[in-house]
Amino acid sequence: MKPEFFGILRSPVLWLALVFTAVLPLWLPSYYLHMATLALVYVGFAYAWNIVGGLTGQVSLAHSLFVGIGAMLASALLLRLGINMWVGMLIAALVSGMAGAVIAWVDYRFRLGHLSFALITLAFAEVGELVVLGWDFLGGASGLYLPKDQGNLQSFQFGGSSGYFWFLMLLAVLALGVNLAILNSPLGFFLRAIRGNEGAAQAVGVNVLRNKMLAMAISAVLCSLIGTAYARYLTFADPYLLASPNLTIEIVLLATIGGVSSAFGPLVGAGLLIPIGEMLRGHFGSMLPGLHYFIYGLLLVVVIIALPQGLAPAFSRLYRRFSN
Amino acid sequence: MAILEVQNVSRRFGGLTAVSNVSFSVEKGEILGVIGPNGAGKTTLFSLISGFLPPNGGDVVFKGQSIVGQPPHRIAKRGLTRSFQVVQVFTDMTVLDAVTTAALLNHPMRAAIAKAEKVIDQVGLGHKALETPASLSLQDKKLLEVAKCVATEPELILLDEVMAGLTLAETQAPLKVIRDLRDAGMTFVMVEHVMPVIMSAADRMVVISFGQKVAEGSPAEIVADEKVREAYFGEEDLHD
Repeated sequence: MKPEFFGILRSPVLWLALVFTAVLPLWLPSYYLHMATLALVYVGFAYAWNIVGGLTGQVSLAHSLFVGIGAMLASALLLRLGINMWVGMLIAALVSGMAGAVIAWVDYRFRLGHLSFALITLAFAEVGELVVLGWDFLGGASGLYLPKDQGNLQSFQFGGSSGYFWFLMLLAVLALGVNLAILNSPLGFFLRAIRGNEGAAQAVGVNVLRNKMLAMAISAVLCSLIGTAYARYLTFADPYLLASPNLTIEIVLLATIGGVSSAFGPLVGAGLLIPIGEMLRGHFGSMLPGLHYFIYGLLLVVVIIALPQGLAPAFSRLYRRFSN
Repeated sequence: MAILEVQNVSRRFGGLTAVSNVSFSVEKGEILGVIGPNGAGKTTLFSLISGFLPPNGGDVVFKGQSIVGQPPHRIAKRGLTRSFQVVQVFTDMTVLDAVTTAALLNHPMRAAIAKAEKVIDQVGLGHKALETPASLSLQDKKLLEVAKCVATEPELILLDEVMAGLTLAETQAPLKVIRDLRDAGMTFVMVEHVMPVIMSAADRMVVISFGQKVAEGSPAEIVADEKVREAYFGEEDLHD
């Protein structure tokens, strides 16, 4: 591990931010708390995706598959087979990790280029959605309603909205921590080298297949874990939300707007855009159908044109200018 | 003792035979120059040796064991690494990070960073350790290419035209690095177009033309060889 990693862990800013976030449920009104919880879910997704999309530089459109496995499989195991959802969460994560590794292997074996990789991963996600919609065990098109939360932690129930906020915050922090850890460890160097130039990476001894599989598997496991928790939070495993490739597009968008090359891009992207999107819906949603989407879309286009590197690098430039 | 033996290696692309029955050996601690006209198959030969391309026939023996069919990263781990003719950089990694990646082949994180810093100083890029390739001159990029190879702590380095595009004066820095490393026990095979450079650097030379080996010997012998003059230098005088 690079010494810088422990420097970040000791940073007071990090701990202040964590404490600030952790006390949000104590005073935020429930509507805003829901917004903050959603933001945490997407911060987690964006970080998980960033391991493949940002660090390895492969635009994966498969990630709704992993979220879907986490949400639908863990819910189905509970409802159909009575398997405890904590256990279901781990089983689903294992399945997602293996699916991720297989996709990375397919990519390597058939030497897919960037475009083919995006399309093949999208195909995997589409197939995943079709499987969920067509297989009653996983809920089919009507989805799976989870039992009422009775605050029983052993049954993967976190009580009220604060409980879910804290658990999803834990997962988002886990995804962030895994990103930072990878970035400062040999795996991060190998992935960045692969992103920069695969042949040159091999020439200095980097095992491209192993590292790509590892990155995809880690990314898939994180998405799956958050997917399970998200479904439990919503008390409804909705295939059209959780297993749909649209979800991936949202994740990719958030990470890209935040800045994929920056360690804090996904945090900035999802942390800002999810609340903004929700607020736009709150203000304009009832005025004219689709108006909030229009404004949201316009906002994204402006950011992408003005700051192609993303918001996070722009913020750090601003910060440096003011601190000088 | 030969550290590398290339035995009757061939490679065809469709109907074109890029490398045909080439054999030569490399002694430990020497600098072997490989020359030949454009398109003679020199870069293909390097790809065959380093595992980037499988040969259609023949064998490559490194340190007494065949390495044909092994992937490049495993060959690198065994101690044979290559540079690329067209400089291949890790786009957004600093010089230090790029060389650290190479050093990670044989060291854990912290030791790899220390090793990378040492190698970067050794090739004279110390003051540019935190720059990205975009801000490096061609000469510095070539030094970075050499540094990446050296940081894997190989016993044999294949250098593919690391001097191409440099002025004679600019070649002095990388040449000195290569000579110092050779004196420290490393072995080099260099493909080079800059004639005066390869003539002065190489202990021995192999000449490739149309995929075949046409001559082998000391630089002086090569200059005097009739076949080489025909195949490689045409009607031109060598000393122009």
